[in-house]
Amino acid sequence: MIHLLKNAINEGLLNIRGKLGSFLITILMVSLSFMVFDIFLIISWNLGTVLKNEQENVGIEVFLSDNITEIESVNLADIISGMEGVRSVYFVSPEEAEAVFRADLPEQADLLTLLGPQFHLPPSIQISLQPDYRTSEKVGGLARSVSGMDGVEDIVYGKEYLPGLTRAVDILEKLVVLAGLVLALSLSLVVANTVRLAVTRRALAVQIMSIVGAPGWFVRVPFLGEGLLTGTAGSAGSLLLTVAVSWMLSPSVPHEFLPGKWIMLVLILGASSGAAGSWIGMKSGIPKPRS
Amino acid sequence: MLITFRNVSRYYNDWPALENINLQVEQGEFLVVSGPSGAGKTSLFRHIWMGDLPSKGLVEVAGYSSDRIRKNDLPFLRRKLGIVFQDFRLLPERTVFDNVALPLQVTGTSTKAIRRRVFSLLAEMELNHRRSSYPHELSGGDQQRVAIARAMVSHPVILLADEPTGNLDPEVSRIVIDLLIDINRSGTAVILATHDPRQVPAGTAKFIYLDRGHLVNPNFWDGYRQL
Ligand SMILES: Nc1ncnc2c1ncn2[C@@H]1O[C@H](COP(=O)(O)OP(=O)(O)OP(=O)(O)O)[C@@H](O)[C@H]1O
Ligand SMILES: [Mg+2]
Repeated sequence: MIHLLKNAINEGLLNIRGKLGSFLITILMVSLSFMVFDIFLIISWNLGTVLKNEQENVGIEVFLSDNITEIESVNLADIISGMEGVRSVYFVSPEEAEAVFRADLPEQADLLTLLGPQFHLPPSIQISLQPDYRTSEKVGGLARSVSGMDGVEDIVYGKEYLPGLTRAVDILEKLVVLAGLVLALSLSLVVANTVRLAVTRRALAVQIMSIVGAPGWFVRVPFLGEGLLTGTAGSAGSLLLTVAVSWMLSPSVPHEFLPGKWIMLVLILGASSGAAGSWIGMKSGIPKPRS
Repeated sequence: MLITFRNVSRYYNDWPALENINLQVEQGEFLVVSGPSGAGKTSLFRHIWMGDLPSKGLVEVAGYSSDRIRKNDLPFLRRKLGIVFQDFRLLPERTVFDNVALPLQVTGTSTKAIRRRVFSLLAEMELNHRRSSYPHELSGGDQQRVAIARAMVSHPVILLADEPTGNLDPEVSRIVIDLLIDINRSGTAVILATHDPRQVPAGTAKFIYLDRGHLVNPNFWDGYRQL
């Protein structure tokens, strides 16, 4: 059995040795088309990460009216902290708001001085949300109920920005799946074609092997191996090329490379479309034993 | 009985390549099949190695029957057969040694056992000095002898030779036919298809004649003119 498997692998190598040049070109072709997919994945991965970070920061800032008393605001904060989806609330007094303003925007600090002592920033309540409440609909709903409360002047949250980003990542994810499918299909067809050519080129060997009693799998393994190798090497090559591109671009476009799980996904997609291609190629190439 | 054909017919788009063939071959027999071009000799052979199955009737070979054989049985049937073709069909990118070793390599024989068997067979057939040559470096006669070595390497019970001398000149044909007779003497059943049954001495073999798919009685057969 071991001998048989070893011999089958040798047959596969014999297959490839006769056409090493075109084999390498096929792998390069597969690599280049897989690169498009890899880049799609990287963009979607990075935007996804941005979205996730944004969602972490999603909170609601509730500006209170100037004439609200300290006790009223604390009461309001208590009520809000009891609402569904709220993780914690933090009351920001006008003094604290001013301190934060001065620290965050030192160049604009003069503005406050210019406006004089009678001007002060409004007090506010900062709401941080429970993780599952960090979507645009839920934030919107919560914001609406808070804005109806007494003493609430204005409410600010990322309603403009968030839905757009969520949708962009949504669309991108769909595009990635589509690109993956198209790629798997085209890789299968490319491999099917090269395997069919290989079978034709080796028709005599295929016939003689089956006539001298080689098991069916022995005849097929070399061709299956060729497809598997093309797919795996092609997708691995695309990852290498993409690493190079990613490295060159990283100073101007800061981003992260794909995580291990996604790299595995690319390799598995390559290997399985290669194997599927072989199978299609053999189906149309190897004659049925009865004909 | 090693081979039985029972009322076998084979049609290709209504054209009968074989028509109601009844035939039996025993262990160790020498059968010569002759007939003009297109008579059905190759079709008959293809039914023996079950590369084709009858449209009607039944073929039984070495315990396998055409109506019950499964795809997975075919390799096991074929390991009991050795097959030789008119055009040799040696694999051009392999040496003589590897061509002869092929039937053993595809059935999982150990490298050591393969070397032992192939070397002794090549020595026996006086082809040892050619073992590292490639087929295109050999004469037609030597190529056919290598093909016969490949067919014999796994000790088949039946050797099928389909016009093995068709591409050889008479002198070399003589050597090949004598080799087949030797092989038969050592116990292997041999079935030889040939245009010229006179190649094989009467008394050494049983002769049958095919004409347009029919087995014909040689005494009433007028096809000799065409041979
Ligand atoms: N696969 C096939 N499809 C269609 N017709 C076929 C097929 N194989 C054989 N035939 C036909 O069956 C008939 C018998 O062919 P076969 O090859 O068995 O003859 P043969 O006796 O071997 O001839 P030759 O001496 O030329 O080798 C021929 O008419 C041939 O055209
Ligand atoms: Mg023929």
